[in-house]
Amino acid sequence: MLAYIIRRIGQSALVLLIVGLVAFSMFRFVGDPIDNMLGQERTAEDIERLREQLGLDQGFAVQYYRFLEGAVQGNFGVSYRQGRPVAEILLERAPATLELAAVSAILAVIFGIALGVFTAIRRNGFTANFIMSASLIGVSLPTFLIGILLIYIFSVELGWLPSFGRGETVDIGGWSTGFLTSSGLQALILPAITLGLYQMTLIMRLVRSEMLEVLRQDYIRFARARGLKERAINFRHALKNTMVPVITVIGLQLGAIIAFAIITETVFQWPGVGLLFINAIQFVDIPVMAAYLMLISVMFVAINLIVDILYFFIDPRLRVDRAGGH
Amino acid sequence: MSRSLCLAALVTALAPAAWAEEFTWAQTTDPQTMDPHAVNSAPVLGFLNNVYEGLVRRGKDMTIEPALATSWEPIGDGEGWRFTLREGVTFHDGSAFTAEDVLFSYQRASDEGSDTRSWFAPVSEVVVVDDYTIDIMTSAPNPIFPGSIANWMIMDSGWAAANNATLPDKEAGNYATLNTNGTGAFRVTAREPGLRTVLEPFDGWWGEVEHNITRAELTPIQNPATAVAALLSGDVDFINPVPIQDVARLQQDANVEVIQGIEARVIMLGFPHEADTLKFSSDVTDTNPFADPRVRQAVAHAVNVPAILQTIMRGNAEEVAQLVSPAMQGFSEAHAARPAFDPDLARSLLAEAGYPDGFSFGLKCPNDRYLNDEAVCQAVTGMLAQVGLRATLDAMPVQNYWPELRADNYDMYLLGWSPGTFDAEHPIRFLASTPNEEKRLGSWNFGGYSNARVDELLPMIQSELDDTVRQGMLDEVAQILQDETAYVPLYVQPLVWGTRSNIALTQRPDNFFLLRWATVN
Repeated sequence: MLAYIIRRIGQSALVLLIVGLVAFSMFRFVGDPIDNMLGQERTAEDIERLREQLGLDQGFAVQYYRFLEGAVQGNFGVSYRQGRPVAEILLERAPATLELAAVSAILAVIFGIALGVFTAIRRNGFTANFIMSASLIGVSLPTFLIGILLIYIFSVELGWLPSFGRGETVDIGGWSTGFLTSSGLQALILPAITLGLYQMTLIMRLVRSEMLEVLRQDYIRFARARGLKERAINFRHALKNTMVPVITVIGLQLGAIIAFAIITETVFQWPGVGLLFINAIQFVDIPVMAAYLMLISVMFVAINLIVDILYFFIDPRLRVDRAGGH
Repeated sequence: MSRSLCLAALVTALAPAAWAEEFTWAQTTDPQTMDPHAVNSAPVLGFLNNVYEGLVRRGKDMTIEPALATSWEPIGDGEGWRFTLREGVTFHDGSAFTAEDVLFSYQRASDEGSDTRSWFAPVSEVVVVDDYTIDIMTSAPNPIFPGSIANWMIMDSGWAAANNATLPDKEAGNYATLNTNGTGAFRVTAREPGLRTVLEPFDGWWGEVEHNITRAELTPIQNPATAVAALLSGDVDFINPVPIQDVARLQQDANVEVIQGIEARVIMLGFPHEADTLKFSSDVTDTNPFADPRVRQAVAHAVNVPAILQTIMRGNAEEVAQLVSPAMQGFSEAHAARPAFDPDLARSLLAEAGYPDGFSFGLKCPNDRYLNDEAVCQAVTGMLAQVGLRATLDAMPVQNYWPELRADNYDMYLLGWSPGTFDAEHPIRFLASTPNEEKRLGSWNFGGYSNARVDELLPMIQSELDDTVRQGMLDEVAQILQDETAYVPLYVQPLVWGTRSNIALTQRPDNFFLLRWATVN
C-alpha cells in the first residue's frame, strides 16, 4: 500500500517536471515581454539591458532551472506586469476562482443527478424527453456563447443581474468572499450557471445512462418482485449503485471546472486566476504563466492521485489483485 | 454592484442635494503601475494624470497650460527654462509642494530605471533657485521643452524617501507601485491591480473643481462584448474603447452615447529601405524593389484609403498624408493631401521601375495592436494585388510582432505612431532619422530609412526658437518624406468612447480620460 502511494507520488512529480519543461519551451512562442515593459521611447540598449536583467537572453532550460530553483523555495518570481510577487497575486485571485468553481460544481452535481434520475425513471415522458433535448444545448454550445447570451438576457434586456465582476467582497483572514454580500451573490449567478452548465449536462447524461443500465439488472427485478416500493428501488438500490462511476467523473470534472474557468472568467471579467492567466499571456508575463500552469498541473495530478488512492480503498478487487501479486 | 448603484440612485433621488455621484468606468487595460516614472505607456500616464500633476498640463484642446508652475520663460538665449512654481499646493498627505519635490522628481524620472528618461535627454542640469523657482538647463536651446514634459509628474520627495521609493522599480516594484501621493484633483483610496482602482476627490486641491464626482472606480474589462454589455445594462458609466462594429448598435440606444474623435495615432505602411533583397518573395530574390522610390509611390497610389475608412473604420477615421495628424503642432498644411488612389498610375510606376508584372512579397501586420489592424492589412493586400503587388499577409499578436520587426523579418509592415510630445518633431526623431543608438535617434525606424538632409534638419528643428523658421524646416522634412515616400501614411486612428447619456465628459486626442472634466447629471 505505502509502496504503491510512494510510486504514484514519484510518477506525479515526474509528470509535473515534464509539464514545466514543455511550458518553458513554449513561452518563447508566446512572444516577447520586453516591448510591453518598455515604453515607446526605448532604445535597443534598453531592450538588451532589460533582457539580460530578466534572464531572457538565456536558453529555456536555464530559465526553467531558475524557475524550479525559486519554486522549491516557495518563490515564484515577480510578475513582469504588476511588479509584485506572483505567489501573492495568485493567493489574492484564488478565492474568486475557487468560490465560482465550488458553486458551479454544487449546481452541476445537484441538478445533474436530480435531472438524470428523473429522465431515467420517466424515460418516455414528455418532460424527460424535453430535458434530454435541451441538455444537448448545454453540451454543444460553447461556454463563451452561453455567457454572452446570459449577459444579454439577464443584464442588458432584463437588468436583473450584474453583467460583470464579482460585486462587493468581504475579507475574512485574507480570503475575499462574495458569499456574504447581496451583490456578491447576485454576481455569482450567471458565471456559475455558465461554468456549470456543461458539467451539469454531462453528469445528467451519465447518471441517466448508468441508471438505465442498473434498472435492467436482475436485483432490481427481484426487488420489484418482492413488492418493494418504487421509491425505495429507485433511490436506495438503483441510484446507490449508479453513483460509483459518477463520483469518479465528478472528481475529475472538478479539476476541469477550475482549469476551464478561464473562458467564463474572461466573459464575465471574473477576477480569478483564469483571467489572470489570460492577461499574463497577452502581456507575456512569464512568471505568472509558469506559476499558473504549474499550479493547475499540481491540482490535476493531486486529484488523480487522490482518485487512485480512493480506488484502492473503495474497490476491494484492486487490493486483492495487488496482494496476489506479491 | 447593480444593487448598490440602484441604491445610490434611489438615495440621490430622495435626498434634496445630489451628494453621491458615483462614477464607474471600464477600459481594456488596467494601468500596470501607480508609479508615474516607471512606465511610459498611455494607460498608466492617462490614469495617473488624475492623481499626479506636472509643472504644466494639457487642456481640453491639448494646449499647454499652467499646472504646478504658474509661469515659465526661457533663460538667456535658450540655455534653459525658468519655472515659477505655484504656492500653497499640498500633496494628498498634506505635505507642502516646493522646488525640492521638482528636483527630486527630475532625478527620479530621469534615472536609468525609469521609462521616462528620454524626456530629459535635452536637460543638462536642474537648479533650485528658491522654494518656488526652479531652472531647468538644456544643453541646446529647446523651444518645445515645456510641452514635452506635460506628463512628467511631480512626486513628494519626503513621502518617497519615507516609503523607500526614491527610485522607480519597474521589475520588482516598490511602495509607489501600489500607492500614490500626488497633488492632483483625485487621490487613490483603494488599489487592487487588475480588479479595481478607487478614486476620491482631493479636498485640498488647488484648482477650480468642475466635476461633481464623489467617488470613481476604474475596472478593467478585457472582453469588448462584456464591456459593451456592462455599458448597456448601466453597470458602468463609461467604456473606452467601443468596438467599431458596435458603434451603430450603441447609437440606437437612448441611454447610451457614443463620443467619437480622432486619436493622435497615424497608421502607416513601412518599408525595408536598407535590405538588399526581399525576404518573402517567390519571384524577385536578388534585389529589393522597395529601395526604389517609384515602387513605394506605386504602393501609395494603389491603396484606396477612403474605401478602407468607409468599410473597415465605418467612417470613423480620417486619411492622412504625413507622419502626424493635422491636430498636432508643426503639421505641414502644404502637404496635407494624400497621393490619389490611382491604380493605373501605380501600374505605370511599377513598369517604370522595371516590374511591369509586379512581384510577390511578405506583409507583416499585428492583429491586436491597432483598431481592426488585421482587417486593414487584408484590405491593403487585396488593393495591392490589383496592381500586381502580391503580398502574403502574416498577421500576429503584438508581442510576437515587434521582435519580428526588430529582426528585419518583413518586406512591408504596418505601424502606428502617436507622438508623445504632440509635435511633428517626434516622429522625425523616432521614425525618419537614420538609426543612431548613441544619439537615441531612429529607434523605431525599423527599415533604416536615411536622408542626410532630414538628419541635418532635426537638431535645427529641435533648437529653433522662431516658430515660422521652425515650421519652414518641418515643411521641408514633410516634403522630403513625401517625395521619397519614406512611409505610406494611411489614416489617423479613430477614438470611440461610450458613455451613459447622463454623463458629460471631455475626450482628448491623446485618449486620456480626465475625471476632473466629468459630470454625472
